[in-house]
Parts: sequence; C-alpha cells; structure tokens
Amino acid sequence: MKLDIVKNRFIFLALSAILLLPGIAAMIYSTITYPTHTPLKVGIDYTGGTTLQYGVKEEISNNKLADVRSALEKGGIDNPYLQIIHVNSQENDLKSILSIRTKFITEGSSEQDNITNIVNSEFSDPQLVQVASVGPTLGMELFKNSMIALSLALLGIIAYLTFRFQFDYALAAILGLVHDALFVCGVFSILGLLYDVQIDALFVTALLTVIGFSVHDTIVVFDRVRENLKYYSKKMTFGEIMNASINQTLTRSINTSVTTLITLLALYFLGGVTTRDFVLAMILGIAIGTYSSIFFCSTLVDIWEDKKMS
Amino acid sequence: MKNKLMLFWAIVAIIITCIVIICTKPTKLGLDLVGGSRLVLEAQTSDTVAQITPDMMSSLQFAIENRVNKLGVSETVVQRAGDKRLVVEIPDVSDLNQAKAYIGETAELDFRKPVMKDGEAEWEATGLTGKDLAKANLSTNSQNGQWVVDLEFNGTGTKKFADLTKQLVGQPMAIFFNGELQSAPVIREAITGGRAQISGGDNGFVYDEAKKMVDLLNAGALPVPAKIIEENTVGPTLGADSIAKSKIAGAIGLGFVMIFMALYYRAPGLIADVALILYGIMLFALFKAIPITLTLAGIAGFILSIGMAVDANILIFERTKEELKAGRTLFTAINSGFDRAFTSIFDSNMTTIITCIILFCCGTSVVKGFALTLAIGVIVSMFSAITITKNFMHLVFGAGKLTHPALFGLKASDINDSYQAVETKREKAKFGILD
Repeated sequence: MKLDIVKNRFIFLALSAILLLPGIAAMIYSTITYPTHTPLKVGIDYTGGTTLQYGVKEEISNNKLADVRSALEKGGIDNPYLQIIHVNSQENDLKSILSIRTKFITEGSSEQDNITNIVNSEFSDPQLVQVASVGPTLGMELFKNSMIALSLALLGIIAYLTFRFQFDYALAAILGLVHDALFVCGVFSILGLLYDVQIDALFVTALLTVIGFSVHDTIVVFDRVRENLKYYSKKMTFGEIMNASINQTLTRSINTSVTTLITLLALYFLGGVTTRDFVLAMILGIAIGTYSSIFFCSTLVDIWEDKKMS
Repeated sequence: MKNKLMLFWAIVAIIITCIVIICTKPTKLGLDLVGGSRLVLEAQTSDTVAQITPDMMSSLQFAIENRVNKLGVSETVVQRAGDKRLVVEIPDVSDLNQAKAYIGETAELDFRKPVMKDGEAEWEATGLTGKDLAKANLSTNSQNGQWVVDLEFNGTGTKKFADLTKQLVGQPMAIFFNGELQSAPVIREAITGGRAQISGGDNGFVYDEAKKMVDLLNAGALPVPAKIIEENTVGPTLGADSIAKSKIAGAIGLGFVMIFMALYYRAPGLIADVALILYGIMLFALFKAIPITLTLAGIAGFILSIGMAVDANILIFERTKEELKAGRTLFTAINSGFDRAFTSIFDSNMTTIITCIILFCCGTSVVKGFALTLAIGVIVSMFSAITITKNFMHLVFGAGKLTHPALFGLKASDINDSYQAVETKREKAKFGILD
C-alpha cells in the first residue's frame, strides 16, 4: 500500500475541515444558548453543585424519570437534573443508576434526606451509591486550574519540540494537537446537546492525554522525516521524502492506534460505568490523533517547505 | 554473548523480586473502589480571624483528626492540602450525614461576664474558653437526675476561672457553646477547685446533646470554623462492581493486544508478549512497593499504558523488518532496529511524561492518580520494551542469517527488496557491521 499524501494534500485539509466543522458549530451554538455560556456542557466539577446517585434494581423508563422529576420538584428541589446510567452489574443485581444533580447542598441541610425519601417512595429498595459535592467557589478554582494545566502542557510540548526539532515542525505538531483537541471537544459539545453529556475534571485529563498521544504520533513521523533528510536530501525532493516517511511509518501508526484502541474499547464496554465518558474522550482523541499525524501535520509541513522553495 | 546472559539473569532476578513484592505487600485501593468518603474542608476566615496561619492549620488538623478517630472507623486519613484545606478520608462509614455534621462542627466554649452598654445588659468575652479545659465528662445531676456536662480546667484555666468567679461574686456568669447561651448561673463564691458544670438551663440536656458536647470539647475546639467544600462518597457496592469490571476489561484488553502482536509480528510478537506480561508484573510490584493508592482513574491509566507499552515494540519491530528486507543479518537488523527506533520512542514518551508532570502538579487527587500511574507506566514500559525485548531477541535468534523469514512475518521474496540501507560510519560500528 502506498499513499500519496503530498499530491492529495488539499483533499485531506478539506476532510479535516469536514470533521471539525460540526463540532465547532455545536460549540458556538452552545456558547450562545447555555446559561453558563460555555462551549461544552459543564458538570458540577466546574459549576459547583451536588450529585446523588442511587442504584436501582429495574430499568428506568423515560416516563418514570418524568414522574421522579415532578415528585422532586413538588418536594421543593429546584431544577433537579436527572440522568440514567445503565449498569447491568453481575456482582449485585443493580440494573441502572439514577443520577440527580442539584445545587450545592451544604452540610447539615436536610435536602439530601429529602431527596432520598422521595427516591425511596418511587423505587423499591434504592441504594445511595455515590455522592459528589463541589462548593461553588471551588468549582471556579478547579476550572482555573484546568485551564492553567492545559496552557502549561501546550507550552511544555512546544518548548520540547522546538528543542528537539525545528520550530516549524513544532508548530505543525501543535496545530495537529489543536486539531485533535477541537475534534474531541466538538464531539462532546454535540453529545452535550443531544444526550446531556457533561464534562468534568476527568474530561480535561483525557484531553491532556490525547494531546500527549497526538504529539507522540506526529513525532514518530517527523523523526523519520528528519532521518530521511539526513540520508536522501540530495537525491529526493522534500515532497518525496515526506511521502516515503509517512509510508514507512504508516503500519506503525496504525498498529499502535489499534493496540491502544483495543485496550480502551475493552475499558469502554467492560469497565466501570463512572469512567465511561473519560474513556470515550480518549478513544475519539487517539483515533483522530492518528489521522492528524498522518494526514494533517505532514501536509502542513509540506506546504510550508514548498513555500520556502518558491 | 556473555553480557547478554548476565543481563538475562539480572532481568530474572528483578522479576522474582517483583513477584515476591506482589505476594507479600497489600494493594492499596482508593475509596472509589472500596467505598467510603472523601471530604475537603476549608478553614474559613471570620471577623476575629483575618488570615489562616500554618499554626492554625496544624491545630485544626489535630482537632479534626481527634474527631474523625471518635467515629470508630479504621484507616481514616486527615491530610493538609494547600494553605487552608484539609482532606479527610473515611472508609465505610454507616451514617455519613451525621459524621459530616460532627466533623465540621465548631466547639467554641466560652465564658462571658455581664456588662452594661448603652443602658442595656450584654455578655462580654472574658478570655476563658474551651482551650483552658483539661477535659469534659458526662454525668447526671444528683438532685434532679438530669444530664449535665462536667468541666475540668487545666492549670492556667483553673487560675483564670478562679479570678473570674472572684470578680463576679453575686453576678451571673454565662456559658456559651458555639455562640449559644447554655446557662448563666449566679456565682455565690469564688471557685478555686478548677471544676465547673454546665446544666443546660431549666429543661436540662437531652442525652445526645450532652454527649456530643462532651465529645466535641474533648476532641478540642476547631481554632477556626471549617466548611466542607467538596465531597465524594462511593458506596461499597459500586466500588466492588468497578473492581470486578476493571479486572475483566484489563484481562480482555491485554489478551487481545497479545493475540494481535503474535499474529502480526510472529516470533518477535511472542517475545513482546512475554515482555508485556513482565511489564505488568513490574508495574504492579512498583505500585505496591511505593505504595500508590489505586483508584478507578489510576486503573484506567494502567490499562492505557498497556496499549502504549507495545507501541515501542511495534516501532522497533517495524524497523527491524525494514532492516531485514534491506538484507542485513539478524544481529545487525535487531540492533539497528532498536537503535533507530529509540529516538522516536524517547521523544514521544517524553511528551507524555511532560503532560503527566503538569497533570500531577495542577490536578485534583483523581487526576493525580491517573497521571502518576501513567507516568510510571511509560517509564517502566521503556525498560521492558527496549531492554527486555532486545535481550530476549538476541538470545532467541542469535547472530546468524535469517533462515526462516516467516518467523518475522516476511516472505523470502521480500528480502533485498526495499529502500537501500544506508548508515554512517559511526552507526556501522554501533550495529556491528564489519565490512
């Protein structure tokens, strides 16, 4: 199999645009419409609030969910936000988890007991399996920390790449990871609109891992370009060297993604429910990261080199 | 060859040590896996306390530790986090709501004297507080059988109390607990014995109320009020479910990766599989030896690192295959495969480690667990994928010509049918090419 990336470079740039645009549109739409004015639906980690999760031994229908919601509203809980997580545990006969999100419940408040009583009256023998609570000021702080972590990671990677490669390679790798991060955020923005998927601190972790991985892939290709330039720069044009390098590393890029995706898919389908969105973000990121290192970053460097020549 | 054998036995020794560690040391599991509560408390500034000092935090930590110990649960943890926060971990508590109310409760006992201000009677602080107590006891009033709290002052407290009561003979003295007036007995004579009693007013105390006050007083007052700003509680059922599922996911993920490697890369793939199992053993032993508390996110990092561990081997094997196609002998092909793949492996792993370091510094505890396991995984994987696999490859294949290309998943016609192999003089010497 021989891919001619250089010849078809504008096709791949267009494909990247097609992959990214729906997500970007969703993020713009979300920023305008959400009360929080964020491009993604944010969870309690960043807004503050309390989530109570009850394990129940039955499948919860949408009608049932509406019943619980109105019961909660009648019980004086403002704007409860409900979600069903499917479990199907073999260990104990829990079928689903009902997740109820409210504003931050302070200590000593009877609100939690209140909610538990209402859930008790709606289901037979529900168990409170998880409580997560984040104070409103802490939410802002966590958000700030996440943004700092993201910026630091970007700076660290730029510095390292500039040190090991030329600056334009580093820039291409950075654009590649922005490409990948945008794609993952875009998909989660769409998921937020369609399925109420919220992002939390783990999502940012997944994003950072994806960034690391994306650069990882790009480096392998660039490393090969660097090596080939050393041996063949007199005999071949830059475009030919780029093509050869991509093809030489192609099997490796795909095989590495395959093995990583195998482990992640096993985690997604068989692992714990609480980390499912986290794993999904990584699956998306690693798939797009492989795509971008083969088709996007190399195309950018090639276009720049062409500009330099002419 | 002698060096290779020595390295082999060194690897065997490391693995045996690791297995011993795995068998003897316990695994530390996080609260999200065994069930339990993790609370973050923040010291609050108030009118009287404008700034939280490290001293205040130490005594706050001490007081909270005392209270948490009173819950009667083993393996509780109280740790400082930042300038004004404490992390409290309580595994498996039966009534968390009650525990929470108890932990964060202030226990400010203070004695006040009456003063006239603008023609109105007011209570004024005297400087005698709960800090001057030696201990508190629960007992009953001998006359009416009501629950009362007996107070015993320490040395300075006894003196302060004696001075105060001498000054207040004929006047009432008020006892406030958490800003609430408990009782205000009239002092008949100076009390020098260092003992006092809180009766709980006309109706007396309910047992629970008196008991709580005694416990709080004995545990020590919080020097500043502390509020719970974050809580994460996981029930034991969900935790057990997560462990069981992670085990299955890890085993199946590992199994498929091993099958893939063996099918695609044949003999080297099998060697990589052995190295992967050894990698798992070493990593698990390290987690136990350090020890690292395994959380759900940490396990995800562990499983993810399996995928990344084979990446180095894939890079190397692809490279070795190319070198074989270029017509090299096995020995030089393996050496140059490893050598040329090394810069890629090193550079790409460095970026992962950079992100892990940043995550570890900026992240919350969940994120920290993930970053730490992933970073250790990446470092150990470089050892297993480079040192161990290379050693095994040399021992298995020796230095001869490649007689069975199928072992590497190559056809005989592939050999000598590729990019021409080029190397510098330095590399020739390094790979052992003698021409």
